[in-house]
Order: sequence, then structure tokens, then C-alpha cells
Amino acid sequence: MAKPKVGVFGMTGCAGEQIVILNCEDELMDILKVLDIRSFHTAMSENDEQCDLDIAFVEGAVVQPEEEVWLKKIRKRSRLLIALGTCAVWGGVAAMKNEVSPQRLKDEVYGPRGQIFKSIPAQPLHSFVKVDFSVSGCPIEKEQFLQAIASLVHGDIPVLPKYAVCTECKLNENTCLLVEKSELCLGPITVAGCNARCLSYGIPCCGCRGPVEEANIASEVEILKEKGFTLGDIRNQLRTYAAPAEVLQTYFTKR
Amino acid sequence: MQIVKLPKENLDKFMGGLSKFGEIHAPIKKDENTYLFSKIEDLSKIELNYNRTILPPKKYFLPPNETMFRFSPEKGYEPPQDNLNKKYVLLGVHSCDIHGLKILDLVFSGTYVDNYYFTRRKNTSIIGVSCIPDDMCFCRSMETDFVEDGFDLFLSDIDDSYLVRIATSLGDDMVRANQSLFKEVDKEDIAEYKRKSNERKNYFKIDLELYNLPEIMDLEYESKIWEEIGEKCLSCGTCSMVCPTCYCYDVFDQLNLDGKTGERRRQWDSCLFKDYALVAGGLNFRSERSARVKNRYFHKQRGFVAQYGRPSCVGCGRCIQSCPAKIDIVEVMTKIRSASYE
Ligand code: SF4
Ligand code: SF4
Ligand code: SF4
Ligand code: SF4
Ligand code: SF4
Repeated sequence: MAKPKVGVFGMTGCAGEQIVILNCEDELMDILKVLDIRSFHTAMSENDEQCDLDIAFVEGAVVQPEEEVWLKKIRKRSRLLIALGTCAVWGGVAAMKNEVSPQRLKDEVYGPRGQIFKSIPAQPLHSFVKVDFSVSGCPIEKEQFLQAIASLVHGDIPVLPKYAVCTECKLNENTCLLVEKSELCLGPITVAGCNARCLSYGIPCCGCRGPVEEANIASEVEILKEKGFTLGDIRNQLRTYAAPAEVLQTYFTKR
Repeated sequence: MQIVKLPKENLDKFMGGLSKFGEIHAPIKKDENTYLFSKIEDLSKIELNYNRTILPPKKYFLPPNETMFRFSPEKGYEPPQDNLNKKYVLLGVHSCDIHGLKILDLVFSGTYVDNYYFTRRKNTSIIGVSCIPDDMCFCRSMETDFVEDGFDLFLSDIDDSYLVRIATSLGDDMVRANQSLFKEVDKEDIAEYKRKSNERKNYFKIDLELYNLPEIMDLEYESKIWEEIGEKCLSCGTCSMVCPTCYCYDVFDQLNLDGKTGERRRQWDSCLFKDYALVAGGLNFRSERSARVKNRYFHKQRGFVAQYGRPSCVGCGRCIQSCPAKIDIVEVMTKIRSASYE
């Protein structure tokens, strides 16, 4: 069987996903054995911008009209489109202030020089194109990326955990920062996969991987309010990584 | 059962001597109010006065995740690398947790005996220790506040000594190997033991009434209470992970990059997870959160009773302590009962 033809693309973000891929130093040769990488600007100088692809890995959020066009072109070229990282999956930190007009943000950050480019409210990939599979994380976890490739090469859609960070936190037998120390932890509503990285260092989860399926935002907010956090604090934390997420939109517009 | 006495000043020597029987694991303090079973390198870290560990001892027999076998086209199936036959001494296990293990034994010895579990079980000796209940313990309601088997030795605190019940020949070997540390039990010791046992009953703050509970559960199957709890529950899975009797696990293959070799793994699962009841074709017979919370209670207090003649909850209080939404099994069951009897 021919190796799947692959492209790795970055919209607006910190290139963290691409760095994670390049940091798979011990596995890079094995990755190249099973994937035919045709386009990966961060890593290669000769890139094929036209060929049909089997898999397009796309990181970053869409924040410019040009990116929307580019993303749609990638979608057309590729059999599968896989969103990599919280920005691509949920909008990420760039979408934190979407309620403020892009014009005002641009003026404040860039001043008159901002006139040379256009910007739109930051959105995840699925707002524009069909996404076949998502690997979230800020940045993605190397192990999950490798698992995803292994499954794809085998012809399966990868299976990644759908449960919350709390489950991994308990599997690691951490003291619960929310229950025992009344800290603002988003573990109960954040999707697992990082092996509860922060909690294992004694730092509360700030939700960088985005919401878990069917996240119970209302209950999480009630719990945190009871611990003394204001709705403002909670909202800011909740909107840091996944502001465009439907569960959050619904929760905050209902109020 | 033979009973001997271990003066507390001999405890360290005794514990040190146990390493002959296996690698010692015992409770240590993790944080202000949290403990965990851990490998002991320094005996002074052992904390025998503890309320409950974050994870129950089940982690030693059904690890949170494990490799069941590895596979490759060339070598076929190969056993996991970790040595199931290593000897352990699990010291400081509470009565409720020993009952928890006895419940897991029932489950894993069914039609398909789980050899991973039982090999570890066989190679681990259990030394129990008495405890003082806190305000989340309700083992007395679940009839697990006292244990008569399922351990090799059981240490009951009578102030300056432990009364040591010897339940197995291995337990007897452990005592004999350190004979000089033990003393005969006298009348005063027995009197003190009885006094302590009676006094302990007064410490329980909560009670879960078992009488007729399975029937009440059936009658309240459609109760609104399940929806109320479903609104609060985050499906975070914590309650299943920390429960000494939750035994659900997921099995999956983890492939290597070549797409040919890999390993079959299993990991703790929870009926609170949305994809727990997802079946081929996309149907989910418990897609509502309220249905999933209800399932947890039904399995513990109704289904398990029908199958094994007793509830699978041992009253350890872990799910009460660790549920972020403060969903409390005793409160829920009490509410359900009063819905039937008001
Ligand atoms: S510390 Fe956070 S992630 Fe861990 S169990 Fe508690 S709430 Fe969940
Ligand atoms: S614990 Fe939370 S914040 Fe930390 S890496 Fe995991 S999802 Fe991100
Ligand atoms: S249901 Fe709760 S109290 Fe009962 S055994 Fe499980 S964790 Fe302990
Ligand atoms: S069905 Fe639920 S309550 Fe029962 S053992 Fe499994 S996880 Fe625990
Ligand atoms: S610990 Fe509480 S919130 Fe989490 S799944 Fe269990 S009942 Fe629901």
C-alpha cells in the first residue's frame, strides 16, 4: 500500500503543534517510514502546494479572510482534514476577546500599521470546513499525535479519551485542588489526554484542552461560585481557550 | 482465630521484618487531608492513623491501566513485561477496603476467571488495621465495619499495643518470624479491645438504611430525583475511579507507528462516561446524564444485590469526599427512601 500523502499546515497560532511534531525526535524516522509528507513549511523547503492529499493536519485558528480561503483549498485537496491543537479545534486564546470588534483590537494592538491587513473574529476550523477528526491540546500531546498517526495508517479513525481531566487526575492519585483546596480547577469540564499534567504538578487545570463532551458548565460554575469565585473570574477562565465553544456560548447567552 | 499482642514500641521492628515477605506498601500522607498507598522505603513515612486513601487498594490488583499482552505478526502474542509474580505486603488496610477486595474477588472469579487479578491477589499479603470513622464513613450501615477473613493479619489499636488477629498460615509465619516482638494477650487487653470496639460505634455520623432498599430503588426508578442529580453531576468519573468496588474497565489496542505491532491495554472505565453505553451503530442506551448517575446507584444497591446477595458499596466514603459536585450517596439513598415512604 502506498504511503498516505500528508500535509501539515498552520493557520494563526503559536506553531506549537508543529513544534511538538518536530520534537518527536526518536520517532521522526518511523513517521517518515509510514507517511509521505508533501507539505510542511515549518520543516521543509520544498513543498507541493497542489497535489491531492490523504491527510491534512491543520493547526491554528482562522483570524483572517485569506486563511478562510486557504483552509477551504486545503479541504478540497485532502481526503481527511484533522484539526491539531486547541486553536484549530476550539478557537484557542486568539478567540478570547471575540466579543470586542476586530477593528478595535487591531487599533489597540497595531495602531495605524494595522491598516495593511484584515482580521475577523478568531474561529476554529469547523466553523468553515468539515473536520474529520480533532486532536486538542495547547499544545497537543505527542503521544496522542503518534497514536492518531498509528490508527490512521492502520485505516482507523483514532480513539482518544472523551472523559474529563478529573479521571486522569484520580488515576494519578492527586489531591483534588477543587475539593480539598478550593482552587479554581476546570478539570471536571475539560477533556482528558494530558494525563492531568498540571494537577500532577499541583497546579489547577485551566482548561487548555477545551471542553469535554457534554460539559456541565452550569454545575461547574455553581461549584466555583460556592467556593467564592466571582462569575467574572470564572467566565474569564472558561473563555481563555475555548470561547467559541457552543456549550460556553449557550451558557453565557442564556444568562 | 489466634490473637497475639504487638506492643507499639515493637511496631517498627515488626514492619521492617515484613520485607522478607514482599515489597511493603502502606498508607502515607500526601497532603493535609489526603493519603495514598505507596511503596515504603522509609518506615517512618507509614501513616497507620488515616481516614482513607485517594485510591483504594484495588489499584494493586486491577491497576488503573495495564498491558494485557503485546502482539506482532512475527512473534504472535507475548505476555506483558511486568512481573505479575512479584510479592507484596499491603500493610494498613481498613476493614471496608478488605471487604472491597472480597467483592472484587466475587466479580473476577465468575465464569471467566481474571488471572491478571488473581495472580496479583495470590502474591500479595494483606495486613489490616483498625480505624476510627470520620463523618463520611458509613461502613457500619454496609456491614463492613468489621472483617473476619480476607487478611493475613489484622492489627487492632488498643492504645499502647495492637491486638493482632492471625487469619492465615502466612500471617502465622509473619508472627513466628518475629516471635520475640509479640506478647500473650491478657484479660485487660481483651477488656480494652471490647471497650474500644464499643466506643467506635459512637463515632459514626451517617447511616445508610439498607432495609428494603433494592425494592425501593425499583419503585423509584422514574423518580425526579435522578434528574436533579443528573443536573449537578459533571460525569467527571471521579466517583468510579476512587471506589473500591467499581470494577469496570475498557479494553483497547494501542498500535505502534508501523500499524502492525502494538499492545492490548485495559484501563478503568466508568458508567458515568457518555461513551460507556455507546454501541455499534451509534446507539447510546444511557445518553442522558441522569440515566448514568442512576445506573451507578442501581448497580451498587440493586443490580449487585440481585447477582451476589449484597450491595457492592462498602461505605468507605471516598465518593462522598471526592465528588466535586458534592453528590453524596447516603443523601441520595435517603432521599430515594423518603420518596417511597412519605
Ligand atoms: S484537582 Fe481538578 S482535575 Fe483533579 S480531580 Fe480535582 S477537580 Fe478534577
Ligand atoms: S491539566 Fe488542564 S491545563 Fe493542564 S495540560 Fe491538562 S488540560 Fe491543559
Ligand atoms: S460507592 Fe462510595 S462509599 Fe460506597 S464503596 Fe464506592 S466509594 Fe465507597
Ligand atoms: S457499572 Fe458503574 S457503578 Fe457499577 S462497577 Fe461499573 S463503574 Fe462502578
Ligand atoms: S464524582 Fe460526582 S460529579 Fe463526578 S461523576 Fe461522580 S457523581 Fe458525577
